[in-house]
Amino acid sequence: MSKKISIFAREDREITVGLPRALLYHRYEILWKSFFSELGVQCVTSPRTNKAIIDRGIERSIDETCLSTKIYMGHVDALIGKCDYILIPRISNFGIRRFMCTKFEALYDMTGNVFRGSGQKFLAYDIDVVKKTGEEKAMIAMAEAMGFSRKEGKNAYKAAKRFENDDWKRKVREEERKLRTDQIKIMVAGHSYITEDEYVGKPVIRMLEEMGVTPIIADRIDRKEAIRQSARISPTIKWEMSRELMGSIQIRRNKIDGVILLSAYPCGPDSMVNEMIIRKFRGLPIQTIVLDTQEGMAGLETRLESFTDVLKLQRGEL
Amino acid sequence: MKKAYLGIDIGSISTKGVVLDDDSNILAKEYLWTEGNPMGAVKKLLAELEKQFDKDEYEIVSTGTTGSARKLIGVMVGATIVKNEITAHAVGTLNFYPDVRTILEIGGQDSKIILVDNGVVVDYAMNTLCAAGTGAFLSSQAKRLGVEVEEFGKIALQSKSPTQLAARCTVFAESDLVHKIQMGHTRQDIIAGLCRAVVNNYLNNVGKGKKIVSPVVFQGGVSRNEGVVHFFEQQLGTKVIVDENGPLMGAIGIAILGRRARARKKFDFAVEDMEFRTREVSCGRCPNNCEIICVYRDDVLIDSWGNRCDKGALRAGTRGESVK
Repeated sequence: MSKKISIFAREDREITVGLPRALLYHRYEILWKSFFSELGVQCVTSPRTNKAIIDRGIERSIDETCLSTKIYMGHVDALIGKCDYILIPRISNFGIRRFMCTKFEALYDMTGNVFRGSGQKFLAYDIDVVKKTGEEKAMIAMAEAMGFSRKEGKNAYKAAKRFENDDWKRKVREEERKLRTDQIKIMVAGHSYITEDEYVGKPVIRMLEEMGVTPIIADRIDRKEAIRQSARISPTIKWEMSRELMGSIQIRRNKIDGVILLSAYPCGPDSMVNEMIIRKFRGLPIQTIVLDTQEGMAGLETRLESFTDVLKLQRGEL
Repeated sequence: MKKAYLGIDIGSISTKGVVLDDDSNILAKEYLWTEGNPMGAVKKLLAELEKQFDKDEYEIVSTGTTGSARKLIGVMVGATIVKNEITAHAVGTLNFYPDVRTILEIGGQDSKIILVDNGVVVDYAMNTLCAAGTGAFLSSQAKRLGVEVEEFGKIALQSKSPTQLAARCTVFAESDLVHKIQMGHTRQDIIAGLCRAVVNNYLNNVGKGKKIVSPVVFQGGVSRNEGVVHFFEQQLGTKVIVDENGPLMGAIGIAILGRRARARKKFDFAVEDMEFRTREVSCGRCPNNCEIICVYRDDVLIDSWGNRCDKGALRAGTRGESVK
């Protein structure tokens, strides 16, 4: 695999990069947007997930991929022809026992194949810390491949990283503030591409709020600390994002009333890690919810409401 | 006039109703099949309940609905409380068995476990959004075997060596079952195997990682299957209590919750004679194209749901088909 995937000369007209609003977008939105804006590159983002996008994504995907990947394909589809390049990073790992789900390594090639023949060009940066390519190096290389100088790339990355850190600190502070309420607090533990998705996770969060519950987003946590704390639950688990969620539960377990493990069908890492969480956090009420493309919300509502009720019964509020 | 409290539990398969007094004594009770028509079933149910208690002595001051059609029926009967069946079951069972530690429940399309300590629910689990190992699974297999599902329990108890069946997934179980039939396993062994598979599936899914302490109460439609009860007792090594009012626990629980809540509204049996109708509307105001359910009473829209955003909100009180 060559490091420079897209080699193209810097053009006089403005370049537009498309960002599919799915998967890692929810993790890197600020980093990506500020990086490109520093370089003077335009960004377009696909609309929030809706039924039409999901249906389109399902059409373009093989059956076996997870719901989130199908949604991703729908978002890519919505961007075809609307930008010069669509950004799809390849992220293998952030170090030893800090791996991403394989789909994040495969996504660039998968998507390229699905949309083969569309004439759309894709843009990538490769992170593989085990092989000594970190985020900074990868993103600077991408800028260079786009025709910018190394220095321009480096400055853009530095600035983008600063924006990202500030934004993240603000989000984490906001979650910490929510932990101080007297309401019942339920931690929603799911990958950001589920909890932040307009069609999949957001309805769950809204339903909880309507039931008078404060949902705490597990993903919004000091990531370094979460990774450290996750080792106390399992020292060997290898998925970075699973470790963050586990660490988040560990850090906040005494401040919350219960946990909802929100997962999209079929998720490999979740199927293992969620089982472990249930076994490792004895005494903490946990409800697993696996989402697919069911239309009926009734089953979901029953599960959320009954879970909330049980927590209320424990507090003698019902 | 003394006060009475009505509780209705409308499940996918059966509809249950009770009228309780202030001391949770049952004044009236009824159990019938939903038969895919929850509104019709409730009308029949109300007609039966009305006959059973003294309307001159008692007046119904609160109405609760639970079960999968709770929202629809709640709108129809003007419920003062609408709650999910898990909460209702826990409250109902605790009323009769204050020292219960574990409540097992297998219904038509879902199954759950509720753990209780000192009269307080401490933990519970529900199957994920899949009906494997529930009443619906048993019914479909009964149809395949040409046996009434009500006979399942008796037939299962005759078996000496239940067949091993995969019960993790209904689709796998079915192909496993067909294969075993063709291999020459007897019907009673297969039925016993199915009952055992339901128990194993339950304990490995819903009950996994949970400490099941006696007294254990088993509820839901499947609790009337002696075969399943037998295998639960065998697997857990403890007696499993099946209450004769077990199927009514949800209705009892919601009646009690209605009594505990503050809301009061006199119930009028006149709903039996009103015309209720539902209609499905495709919203079409955004790409989500939500399916909105509209409920009409005597041709007037009284409620609607199913919309994911405000664009699909419909105003109650609109007449007839004027809502798009």
